[in-house]
Formats: sequence, C-alpha cells, structure tokens
Amino acid sequence: MSLRRRSLLGAGTGLGLAALAGCGAGSGGAPDLARAAEVPRGEATVRWWSFPMATNDGDDLRRLLIEAFRSRHPNITVTTVDAPAVTDISRSVLSTAVASGAASPDLYMGDVAWPAQFAHNALALPLDEVVGEDYWRAYPESLVHALGYRDDTYAFPFFADQAYLFYRRDLLDRHGLDVPASWEELTVAARTVQRAGDAEYGLVFQGAVYEGLTANVAEFVADAGGEILNAEGTRVTLGGRSGERALTFLRDLVADGVTPRAVGTFREQDSTDAFVGGRAVFLRNWAYVWGVVEAPDSPVAGRVGVVPRPGFEGAAGSGNGCLGGWCNFVNPHSENPGAAVAFARFCAEEEAQVIMVRNTAYLPALSAVRAGAEARRSPTPVTALADEVRLVPRPTRSPHYPQVSKALYTEVNTVLSGGASPTEALERARAGIADALEGNAL
Amino acid sequence: MRRYLNPVTVGGLVLVVLTAAPLYWMAVTSFKSPVEAGASPPTLFPEDPTLDNYRHALDAADMDRYLFNSVAVCVSSTVIVLGLALFAGYALARLPMRGRGPVMVGLLMISVFPVIAVVTPLYLVERELGLLNSHGGLIIPYVAFHLPFAIWMLRNSMLDLPRELEEAATIDGASVVRTLRSVILPQAGPALFTAGVFTFAATWTEFLMALTLNSENDFRTIPVGIAIYGDRYQVPYGVIFAAAMAATVPVALLVLVFRRAVLSGLTDGAVKG
Amino acid sequence: MSDVPSLTRRRARTGWLFTLPALVVVAAVTIFPVVYSIAISFTQVSLTYDGLRVEEWTLANYTTMLASSAWREALVFTVGYTLVTVAVELVLGIAVAVLLDRLEVGRGWLLALLLIPWSMITVVSAQLWGYLYNATYGAVTWGLGLFLDEPPVILGTPAPAITAMAVADIWKTTPFVAVIVLAGLVRIPAERYEAAEVDGAGAWRTFVSVVLPALRPVMVVAVLFRVLQAFGIFDLPFVLTQGGPGTATQSLAMLGYKALFQDLNMGMGAAVATATGLLVLGCCLLFLRAFRSHVDEAGEGSTA
Repeated sequence: MSLRRRSLLGAGTGLGLAALAGCGAGSGGAPDLARAAEVPRGEATVRWWSFPMATNDGDDLRRLLIEAFRSRHPNITVTTVDAPAVTDISRSVLSTAVASGAASPDLYMGDVAWPAQFAHNALALPLDEVVGEDYWRAYPESLVHALGYRDDTYAFPFFADQAYLFYRRDLLDRHGLDVPASWEELTVAARTVQRAGDAEYGLVFQGAVYEGLTANVAEFVADAGGEILNAEGTRVTLGGRSGERALTFLRDLVADGVTPRAVGTFREQDSTDAFVGGRAVFLRNWAYVWGVVEAPDSPVAGRVGVVPRPGFEGAAGSGNGCLGGWCNFVNPHSENPGAAVAFARFCAEEEAQVIMVRNTAYLPALSAVRAGAEARRSPTPVTALADEVRLVPRPTRSPHYPQVSKALYTEVNTVLSGGASPTEALERARAGIADALEGNAL
Repeated sequence: MRRYLNPVTVGGLVLVVLTAAPLYWMAVTSFKSPVEAGASPPTLFPEDPTLDNYRHALDAADMDRYLFNSVAVCVSSTVIVLGLALFAGYALARLPMRGRGPVMVGLLMISVFPVIAVVTPLYLVERELGLLNSHGGLIIPYVAFHLPFAIWMLRNSMLDLPRELEEAATIDGASVVRTLRSVILPQAGPALFTAGVFTFAATWTEFLMALTLNSENDFRTIPVGIAIYGDRYQVPYGVIFAAAMAATVPVALLVLVFRRAVLSGLTDGAVKG
Repeated sequence: MSDVPSLTRRRARTGWLFTLPALVVVAAVTIFPVVYSIAISFTQVSLTYDGLRVEEWTLANYTTMLASSAWREALVFTVGYTLVTVAVELVLGIAVAVLLDRLEVGRGWLLALLLIPWSMITVVSAQLWGYLYNATYGAVTWGLGLFLDEPPVILGTPAPAITAMAVADIWKTTPFVAVIVLAGLVRIPAERYEAAEVDGAGAWRTFVSVVLPALRPVMVVAVLFRVLQAFGIFDLPFVLTQGGPGTATQSLAMLGYKALFQDLNMGMGAAVATATGLLVLGCCLLFLRAFRSHVDEAGEGSTA
C-alpha cells in the first residue's frame, strides 16, 4: 500500500510541476491588440460579468444599454452574467477564472481600485493601442489616472461614484445653523443639535476594518493637504502634519462624542441606517444614499440636504470626495476581443452615459456628460453637483493596493476604537504600507 | 404533572429557547420593512408585516433554479458518499487489512488542507476536463472532500459493534457482503444517519467551491444565489432572511414531518431497549 | 479466532476491494490540488498572459510569513479560538445529547429544531448574527443595553467581538457534536448501566465510568473534525467582522484567502495554507496519540 500511495503522490507531484511549468493555463501568447481594435463584421456573442443596476422605474440599466448597443451593432449579442454583490467575492471568482485562461466572461465590470493590480497580473487587456491615447482625454483626470498602470490604460470608464456630505436640513434650521463650511464648524453645529437632544449622533461615516475606511481616510488626508502615496504609487507620502491632522480629527470626533464609538463597525449601510433612522445630523457617504434618503418609506424624506464635503479651516482644499465607481475590463483571453471592446467602449461613450443620467441615479463618468446641461438640471442633487466635487483618488496605482489599503484601514480603525494614538497609528501605517509596496506584506 | 417538571424537561426548554431565538428573529425580520428592520429599539413582532421581501427574493433571482441545483448536487453527493463510506468504513473497522492506520491518517491529511488553497488548482483541472458549470463538477469534489469524515464516522462507530453475530455469520460461511448487509447494516443506522446529515449539511452550505466552479447562473447553488442579493453598499437583511427562510422552511418541514423517522434513524439499532 | 490464513487473506482482499473505490475518488480529486498548492508555496510566481510562470523556487514565502506579525497574531487567534470553541461545544454537545437521550416529550421536535442552525448556510447565519450584534439596532446590543450604562459596541472591541463570534459558532455547531454523541449514546448496552447500578455508582460516577469511555470512539471523530473546521474558520469572520476590530478576529484561513484572492499573491497564500494544514495535522496526530486511539490497531484498542 505504501508503495501505491507513493506512486500516486509521485503522479500528483508530476502533474503539479507540469502545470507549474506553464502548460496548464493560458491560451497562449500576448493578446492580439489589432484584433481587439476591430469591430467584428460577422455574428458574435460576448458575455458581460455585471451586476443588476436599477433604473428609476425599476428596470435594469444593463438591458437598456444592451438594447441601444444592439441597434448600432445588430451582429453582436451581449448576454449578462450576474456578479456577486460583494466586491471582494466578485474579484476572487474573476481572478481565478481569468488567471486560468478562461475565455468567459469576455468583459467584466470591476472596481476602479482594481486596474493596477489586474494589469500587473495580466488579467486585463491593455487599451492604449486599441483606442489611442487621446481617447482618455474625455474623462476626469483622476479617473484616468486610476485606470492606468505604468504606461498603459486597462479599463473603460463606466460609472463614477463619489462621496458627499448629507445633512439634516430641518435640524440645522431649527437651531438657526448654516450648512457648515468647514469640519470645525460642523463639529460645533453637531454638538449644538446633540446637546439639545435632537439627535443622538453628530457625524457618522464608515470606520469598519475594510476598504471603505481607506476611502474616508484618503479624503481627510486630502482635506489636510496631504496624500497617501506619490502619484506613481511607489512611495509612502502619508505622514507629517497632514496625516497627523486628519487622524487627530478622527480621534477627537469619537472622543468628543460627535461620532459614536460604534463607527468602528460601520460600513456604508450602518452609517446610512443611523442617518435615515433619524439618529445622526451629518453623514459622509456615497451618492447612492440620496435614493435611500428620498425613498417613499424613509422617515427623513424631504428633510435632507446634500453638499460636497467641507474642508479644514485654513487648509487649501474643500469639496473633496473620494473617487469610486466601476469600469469595464476586457478579458485578454476573450475569443471575441473586438466585440467586447466595442461594447465596453459603447458603455463609456456619450449615448450610454446619457441613458445612464436620464434613467438612473448612477453618476456618469464622461466629463462632458458630468458637466452637461442634462446632469446639471437633474432633479437628483448628487447628479447635479457631480462636477463640483474634487475627486480624490485612493492610492490604487500600486499593484499591491489591497495590502496598502489594509495596512491603512487596520491602523486607523484602532485609532477609532481608542486602541492607539494618531502618532503611533501613523507610524505603524507608514511601515505597513512601505512593506506592502515591496510586496512583503501578508 | 411531576412528569413534566424535572431538570431534563427544563433543560430541554432552555435549549429550545436558546436555539430558536435567533431563528425567530430571522423569521420576524423577513416580514419587516427595511425601515422597521433598522429600528431601535427593535420590535419583537412586525408592526406592519409585509411580504415584499419574499416577493423581491423570489423575483430578483432564480431561487427555484438555485434550489433545484442545490438539491440535485447535495442529494447525489450524500448518496454517493454514504455508499462508498459504508463499504470502506466497514472494511477499515473489521477486515484484517494491513496498513489501515496509514489509510486513516491519510484520509485525515486530505481533510486538513484548507479549502481556500484547493479551489484554484481544482478550477484548473475542471477546466481541462470540461467540468466547470455542471452538476458533476460540484458533486465530484464534494464527494471527495466529504468522504474522509463519513469513513471515519462509520469506521469508528463500527469498531464497537458486538462481534459475536458477525463471527457467527462468518463461521456459517456467509460472504463478507452478506455479513455486511444482514448483520452490520441494521446496526449502522445511527452512524449512517449522522454521516448522511453531516454530508448533506456540509454540501448544502458550501460556498467557495460552488461560487468558483459554477459561475454561470444556470448551475449556481443556494448559498451562491443568496450572495448575489443586494449591492455593494447595502445588505438587504429582510430579503436575505426571506430567501434563507425559503431555503430553510422546506427542509425544516420535511424534518418535522418525518421527525419520528429522523429519531429512529438516529436511535435504530440501539442495543439499549 | 479460528480463521485459517487463507480466509484471512481473502478477507483482507475483500477489504481492499471495499476501500479502494473511496480511496481512488479521494485521491483522484484531492492529490493534485494539494500537491500543486504545496509546490506553489515554494515559488515566486507571476501571472502572465501565458498563464502562471514560476519566477524562482524559494523559501521566501515562508520566511516572510514567519516574520510577519499578522501571521503570528492570526495563529494565536486561530489556535485559541479553536481550543475554546471546541471544548465548549464538546461539553455542551454531550449535555445536549444526554438531555435528548433522557427527554420523554418532544424529542423529535427538539432534534428537528437543532438541525436547523446546523444546516443553515454559514454566510446567512453570519449575517443573522451580524444583524443581532449591529451596534445601532441589533437585538443583542439592545438587550445588553438594558443592563449596562450604554449599549455596547460588540463587534467594535476585541474581547466582545471574539466572544460574539464564538457564540455564533457554538450556536451553529453544537448540534453537530450533540447528534454525533447521541448516535453513540443510544448504542451503549443497557447491561453496562445495570452493572454500574449494581456496583452502587451514582449518576455522575456512572456517567464518568460507563458513558464517557463508551463514547470515546465517536467523540474522537467529533473532536477531530470540529478541530479541522474550527481551524479553517473562514465564512464566519469574513461576513461578521472581516477580521476586525483591527486584526482581532483574523483567522489563518482569512489571511490565506486575502493573500490568494485579494492580493493575488499565490505563493504566499499557498504557504499560509500549507503551514495551516501542517499545524492542523500535527494537532490531530497529537490528539489521537493523547486519546490513545491507536488507529493502527483498529478495534482491538478502543473497545477495551
């Protein structure tokens, strides 16, 4: 028996090594960019990994887009594959499939935080040669920056997301307060309302141990005039007075009771629930919250206002909002790269972006549409204000971004729970990020 | 009256309350509107019961298809596992083979390797063999990864079955297969039942392999189907609980209706009266 | 025994005939992935358009891992968590099994009820507990708030978060242990109880000297496989705490998952997984040794 087992093991090892040697995966060679640049003339079907996107009347935006595309390219059929709702789960399935050389899905929706990592790991088709470098000029600079890695661009913009400050207009009015122009004013206003017993919490945001906290920290650091990594994503720049100011402010919010201790467990939903349930005066969150606030059964409907986030007193910028949103990647192993590119491109361009503004609460990515009359006249203030937010990128240009982000949010979370001082946390976060950039982190 | 007022019954009641309370909460929440589900203090009973969550859960995704896939995959896996494990467990417990120890440890070794690391190479293999997105593509790994427990379970419970009957049968010249069928099988009820329930529950709830290997809608199972609900920002508790109820209630009803059979499955072959 | 050698040999051959189908299935499916992962753990690989490319064979994944405080913290957490939850589940499981065995009314109902948490999809039960523990509207938070000065932030502070996770785990898996133990319990021959009674042993003595020894073979299985599951715990922290607050509930499996699927660092993820597997194997073998359930000697040792 022991002999038989040994030979089985031997066979297994042989297989393992054979696969490792490179004959296991991949359909061979660098992707054919010329073929990707050409829209096929014959019949073609592409599969689009995407999540359902509700329109204002309960339809699915994907259906509208596919229909519009079909009238332009009747020979190309687009079918959808529903992606899991949780971003990380979606990434794990995609990366396994594409890294193994799977040809389906032909194109996939991914987070704007992914391009560098996906480019580094050959999971996305490089696009500069396919559409020409000038193509990207039509989009906000920070968005294009996020979609790029080294000297190329790896995803088509789809929709943008950005953070705003939501506030209870009725409560501010009751106390004769203006919409705060700075974080310092906001703290005072929040305390006034809290002391009067009109709201339990002042400001709520996302402080749990996850990506959302990184977005919040990136904003506050930008408010204080700093940044987390240099533009190319190769060096830590977090620290100094800006980092100290941002983290100290966060700690004080919790210590002074303006923000509840529970914020350390808050994700988007928890903070929104607290706000919509009438427990908080201010909420920092993404654009989608407007739809939740104004829903028919919302207890605070009609009593909420929204503005770009304020800044710190005496610091340069205000109106910063973290850049989020989703883009479309093309699978390098697709058997129909031309058709996949054609559809991803269509979704990024004017016709589709206008359909998006007209029918949904998703924010367009194309600059002309973001600033266009249609958007500015939109009854949804988050869309109308879209172009006024200064988009703050997260440090996603590093292929090790997930570890960079983890080093940051883990440390800042301990500041929120009172487990570390801002200075200590900053020091540890810097060290952790430096390790991550070298690919040395676990 | 005394009959019902003893430590055992009281303990049973405590157990019922502790087990049922979270389930009750899930059931109640599935009938609450999103706003009420987020109310503090929470309401013990839905003030304004609604079926919206159920409507949404059943409309938004192909729950019936997921349910069918789950049942197909889990029932087949369980049946195959029990069939293979019964023979293997008996042989490893009773038949005089050399090297039983290494086999048992070997089986254990397979089980210690974390599933997270196995998924990617499995994907590679199944892609080569064209098994991705099929029922078989899940059944095969499920069988392989759940056999070790079933074999251990059956083997260890057969260890202390009385040997007399079996020896009598052997001396009578009965073949091993006949001994197994007429002597061992009637006594193996509880162990088979336990192993069966375990395998079913484990495959029914398995997430990572189901997610990765069957990424097409047509072959998704319930756990993966439920992970599709909601969006990046919202966990729609009401809808998820409604879907979970829809997946749990049929199983629970079956178990309740057949609770006598379940009980005797567990206790059959009891030597004690 | 009066077996003639040839009969023994024939019976042994039948034994292999019975065992091989199962072993072949297990081996065919599992050996390649396991060997593949172990091999990968000794490499630095990069993903290219041609597939996986081995840059070099190296021990770097292991040295980085061993030097990493994240790994050590995850190790301590996982080991501690496993020990505590499995011990609690074993004690509770035996208690529940004895209770089920003695119960005169509603046995079937109670058993049916116990099967529900166990067969619940972990992702859903984790979400259910997450909802119960929610810091602003969770029922548990609210209930505790009635006794404390202010409602606790259960998942936001390390000790309560770990406890809360353990409670969720124990709720779901105690029935597993209970059912296994019950299946063993009902097969204890009545004579053994009677013998103990004749000896004048009390309930506790009977339990310790008759019931527990008789349960050993099934308890070994229950504990072994619970240890395996607890050591590999992933779904629960992934949904409930995401490893937080800080890294307080980050298990080894989560660490491995993050390396593999978030960082796409295959070598490192495989190293974490391999190390975890080795550790669990070591624990299991030690445990088997401690329980003197010599697997080699099959039946002879354990029934005595």
